[in-house]
Amino acid sequence: MVSKTLTVKNAQGFHMRPATVFAGAMGKFDSQITLEVGQKKVDGKSVMNLIAACIKCGATVTVCCDGADEQAALDTAVELIESGFGE
Amino acid sequence: MRIVDLLKPEAIVLGATASGKENAIDTLVALHEKVGTIEDAARFKEDILKREALGSTAIGEGIAIPHAKSEFVKAAGLSAMTVPGGVDYGAPDGKPSDILFMIAAPLDGDLHLEVLSRLMTLLMDDGLRASLKSAKSTEEFLGAIDRKESERFDEPKPEQKEGYRVLAVTACPTGIAHTYMAAEALEKAGKELGYALKAETNGSAGAKNVLTAEEIAACDGIIIAADKSVDMSRFDGKKVISVSVKEGIHNPKELIEKIRSGNAPVYHHTGEKQVEKTANDERLGRKVYKHLMNGVSHMLPFVVAGGIFIALAFLIDTALGVNPEEAGGAFGTVTPVAAWLKNIGGYAFNFMIPVLAGFIAMSIADRPGLLVGFVGGLLATNGATFADPGAAATVPSGFLGALLAGFAAGYLMLLLEKLCDKLPRSLEGIKPVLIYPLAGLGIVGVMMCAVNPVMGVINGAVNNGLTWLSDNNYGILLGALLAGMMAIDMGGPFNKAAYVFGTLMLTEAATMSNPNVAYTIMAAVMIGGMVPPIAIALSTTFAKSRWSEEERKNGVVNYIMGLSFITEGAIPYAASYPLVVIPSCIVGSAVAGALSTLFGCTLMAPHGGIFVFAVVGKWYLYLLALAVGSVISALMLTLLKKKVK
Repeated sequence: MVSKTLTVKNAQGFHMRPATVFAGAMGKFDSQITLEVGQKKVDGKSVMNLIAACIKCGATVTVCCDGADEQAALDTAVELIESGFGE
Repeated sequence: MRIVDLLKPEAIVLGATASGKENAIDTLVALHEKVGTIEDAARFKEDILKREALGSTAIGEGIAIPHAKSEFVKAAGLSAMTVPGGVDYGAPDGKPSDILFMIAAPLDGDLHLEVLSRLMTLLMDDGLRASLKSAKSTEEFLGAIDRKESERFDEPKPEQKEGYRVLAVTACPTGIAHTYMAAEALEKAGKELGYALKAETNGSAGAKNVLTAEEIAACDGIIIAADKSVDMSRFDGKKVISVSVKEGIHNPKELIEKIRSGNAPVYHHTGEKQVEKTANDERLGRKVYKHLMNGVSHMLPFVVAGGIFIALAFLIDTALGVNPEEAGGAFGTVTPVAAWLKNIGGYAFNFMIPVLAGFIAMSIADRPGLLVGFVGGLLATNGATFADPGAAATVPSGFLGALLAGFAAGYLMLLLEKLCDKLPRSLEGIKPVLIYPLAGLGIVGVMMCAVNPVMGVINGAVNNGLTWLSDNNYGILLGALLAGMMAIDMGGPFNKAAYVFGTLMLTEAATMSNPNVAYTIMAAVMIGGMVPPIAIALSTTFAKSRWSEEERKNGVVNYIMGLSFITEGAIPYAASYPLVVIPSCIVGSAVAGALSTLFGCTLMAPHGGIFVFAVVGKWYLYLLALAVGSVISALMLTLLKKKVK
């Protein structure tokens, strides 16, 4: 398993569009994607889960990827979050 | 902020139709306009469409949540509609959307994110989605959301912020019903009185909802509603009332009021924390059971596959007309096919005990435990000693020895791991590849070689006793004893002693004045080994509530095993519930053995179960003895074993 902790940068956090983009991108990987936000653990492939977690700007998120393509998945996830989902 | 505060009944349409995405948006915007959350419907709609252009707000499972932060929003609000026919909203899962919420949020703040999160948390619940879809009135629609929202958000939040004012610990001796009833009564009373109360339950499943040190420090007082001792040292210096569990169930409000009024005495702890030990013991018991089951579940496939192969070998030899009497010990290996099956099955059987011990140890000590467990198990099966490490003429300690090996090895490895914590960090890398295996192998070798001779001594003593019984004509007692021994350890020293005694008698039969004595003894030995698996099979078939699904499924195979005189089929059950299974099997086997001897049943073959019944003297009575013994064992099992929850 690989993981990385980073800060959510885009002004509105994981609102619906980023969540959809993120879950869509993660869905392409076989690895299990889990986001740890505070006490919560969230399935990174579920739009509903991501939105329900209410991850705001400035929140610290740990992305954990576990599976055959974990490194590629983590790289993609980190790139998405760091780029602020293009916002 | 609650969803029901943002969503007015007038802003909901149920059972609507929508020709398409934009049509649905128009409806939702119009609802916002109707309840006055937005200033300018047309321009708000533009903002909504702008957002949709970035990507659909349909999120799958039939849900779409169009939303916009817009300067044309007067006050944050929601509108909602259900579309039974569904509308194509471009959802990621391709399904049409049938529940739609539209969020109107003012420009400033994170409000829309919070509303979105809250809505989503609620809508993740399948039940809520279903009741929203089937809602007949806006009241019903809002009611469903309100209930779910109270359930999900209301309770923990205010309490966690304020901290619990009153704490409680409930415990009853059996720890099944009253513990939880008292906790529930106290929590309910606390809610009614408006004081947040947290109750820790010290039930049979261990302590749940455990009070934390911070909670104890922050609370006004603690109510102990318990009929058994609980860990009190943690409440030193706090106001504590100790009452019976019943008191907790019947007078929860009085108890809480007493704490609140400040009239409760301050508790001063004296003595050691002796009580926590009981709680820990319970947890230890559960842990031991978990380790045991890890071993048993890994062993099962070996038992089942091996057992069936061996049974097939007997069947084939029988079918091909082999005479069990002539074949003797070679029965089951006379024809080439049978020999192949019996050997392959035997190889699987050889793994059985090491796998049991290995996976018990692995469950305890993780990977370092595997080696010690496997080797310990193997040493238990071959009975190696210091004097005879090659195990040329030794007594195996069987599955009881393997249980010892698995647990002792596992905990020793844990200890070793702890001791190795003190080693310099530079040695970290070689610990798992060199230190643990090396030290572990040494330890388990010494341990098992020390245990095995004890088994040998037991075996020898038992043999002497049996010979004396036989010489002094205690026939029926001997039959009962031998058969019972077969069931004690299913392959250990007792079983081995009984079986070897039986086969020894067979070889001596030719020189005896009355060979029938030898044959009745062999008959008793075999029946004793047939009863345990059959009894387990019967109990799993007829007393379903006593066994887990897996145990029931595997139980069927035990009919075959029992009838084939493969006692090992019972081992997984005996290992899982030794105190229940072993006594039951011993009694049933002993009864069967006594009856068989009483009836004068004889057997000239050392193995084969039902496949050699053709050569059993008075086979019908033998069958009767077997049935009686098995039923007795099965009944005992069923009575002694607790229901599976």
